[in-house]
Amino acid sequence: MARCFLSLFCPAVTSEKLTQLVEWCGRYSPLVAADGSDGVILDITGGTHLFGGEGTLLLDLKRRLHRMDVKSQAAIADTWGAAWALARYGKRFIVHGENAVSALAHLPVEALRLPNEIVLELRRLGLSTISAVKKIPRGSLAARFGATLLWRLDQTFHQAEEPLTPWRPPAHYRASRILAEPISTVGAVEYVLRDLIQEICKRLENNHLGSRHMDLACYRVDGTVDRCELRTSKPTRSVPHLMRLFDGTLDTLRSGFGFETFVLSVLDIEALYPKQLSLSQAEPVKEESSFDALIDRFSMRLGFQEVNRIRVRESFLPEQAVEFRPTTAPAAASAEWPAYRVRPVRLIDPPMRIEVSILIPGESPVQLFIGHRKHRIVRSEGPERLTAEWWRDKPSRWDTRDYYRIEDDQGFRFWIFRDPSEHWFLHGHLP
Amino acid sequence: MAPHPALEKLREQLGCLEETQRRFSRTIPVADAVDRWMPHGGLPAGCIHEVKGASLASALAFSSILSARIAGEQGNIVYIAPDRSLHPLGLLPYGMRLDRFLLVSVRRSQDLFWAVMEALRCPQVSAVMTVLDGADLTASRRLQLAAESSGATGFLLGHVTSAPIAAPITRWKVSSNVGKPGQRFDEPAWTLDLLYCRGGRPGSWTIEWRNQRLSTLFNQLATQTTCEALAG
Repeated sequence: MARCFLSLFCPAVTSEKLTQLVEWCGRYSPLVAADGSDGVILDITGGTHLFGGEGTLLLDLKRRLHRMDVKSQAAIADTWGAAWALARYGKRFIVHGENAVSALAHLPVEALRLPNEIVLELRRLGLSTISAVKKIPRGSLAARFGATLLWRLDQTFHQAEEPLTPWRPPAHYRASRILAEPISTVGAVEYVLRDLIQEICKRLENNHLGSRHMDLACYRVDGTVDRCELRTSKPTRSVPHLMRLFDGTLDTLRSGFGFETFVLSVLDIEALYPKQLSLSQAEPVKEESSFDALIDRFSMRLGFQEVNRIRVRESFLPEQAVEFRPTTAPAAASAEWPAYRVRPVRLIDPPMRIEVSILIPGESPVQLFIGHRKHRIVRSEGPERLTAEWWRDKPSRWDTRDYYRIEDDQGFRFWIFRDPSEHWFLHGHLP
Repeated sequence: MAPHPALEKLREQLGCLEETQRRFSRTIPVADAVDRWMPHGGLPAGCIHEVKGASLASALAFSSILSARIAGEQGNIVYIAPDRSLHPLGLLPYGMRLDRFLLVSVRRSQDLFWAVMEALRCPQVSAVMTVLDGADLTASRRLQLAAESSGATGFLLGHVTSAPIAAPITRWKVSSNVGKPGQRFDEPAWTLDLLYCRGGRPGSWTIEWRNQRLSTLFNQLATQTTCEALAG
């Protein structure tokens, strides 16, 4: 299949503006990347009819960029190289197939994307156009200029592949809506979003898949993009559930002068088979009110890192033993915790330095001072010695720690330790 | 003939009583002596309970015991707190199953109440434990309605000095006692004060957690004055 590339040349843009442009160009195609420091490259293969053909797409792009006050030139060709050359040096802006040779023939050698020294050398030899270079036998070109020149020539004239690395990972599923008039109210956005989700969910259902990670890109009229990301702990394709998850984030969108394009992409999918309901089951739990849906709502509003399952690691060090594992992360096996290792229910992180009084050196203290409060110790248990684990990358702050469980005369119970230099720390509270 | 207004009123009152009866039908055992004292024969599930601790650790452990009893093998327990000071391994001796435990940290204080409400409304949640610094009458009423709608039990924990929850179904205070020599640190003894119980009287017990059971050491009636002083 013939590929189709659109190269956009925007002289005099700042790097922030370019990033913004790359993001904005996502409305035309999911395969977009920055091209050097002054351009954008889009792979628009097979997608031009959505915008009314190549000519209309190009006009639309230029009109929008003009409105955004960006000076630009753009061209469409079969290869990245040809599109690049035409956008910067060309007179014709849509060139396909055999026409490329004649359209590029008179362009200067700079249009071949060559390093400066090769361009200077070519010019010194009087080879100032692409056609002049093409007339020279390949062997002599290789001998004189190395592989770079031939490589660039081949890429431009469709004899070598040039892969494009999109700046965002390509989506498994993608649906977009281009609106005739910009919209700015939450209600209107919700309407479009529901439409998009319904389309995506239908496609997911046909393939027995569920989404784990979605991304909604809202393109503003002024060329900036707002994104909402949505991760779920279990694969889902339930429209009401997804709508409810998006609900909270829609308020945070800043519409400015209004949104004109919406793109919903599914970035991560998992198998999700239809569930057989048993006849005897009186009423199945609605998906929206299930525990998984609750977890998703928490993750969405509070952040994915804040909703955790507990995993016990193979370590006795209190700061290593427990992993707070986000529910969106894949499940992992938990270790068994030996019951004789009594741990506090609340941990003080980092451990608090305390002063103690000791009667017999090497024994547990008889008094300790937390802040200005004095606690007289009546009972203690220990020591439990924990040593640093040499196989860990991150060394512990202490090599050896001797832990004691102690109780004061009021019944308060603490977990304290002594480090090798005889300093004492409070590390937790026991019930 | 239109029904007599007095008769209608009486029907309404009876309806309310039946509602209360139904609401408190499911109970969780605490300890033998405590259950006998409580008007419904145990701690009512599907309600909100306030647990204040002389140290937050005791309140945490006590409500863990009760939560684990409600949840059993399959139930989900949600812990919602503004910080990450909880060390889940410490809850293991109190019957907590970590594979059914969800830990939610809330950074913004305005999200805390939302999260507790959401968790209480979910029918697949058995118990919600949260550290909440006070709730006014409207807020605690909303929490109670959310818990009733789904059957989840809420334990609102706090330090004795923190602001109270306005209208819980029961209000407890847990303070740790000095242990006997040789007593294990994962089998603590507490003084358990029932400061308030809807439809019941306040009480006070000394209890001990041993062999996965709460057992009462001796029973004593809290005088009205001390309870009022504690409820402050």
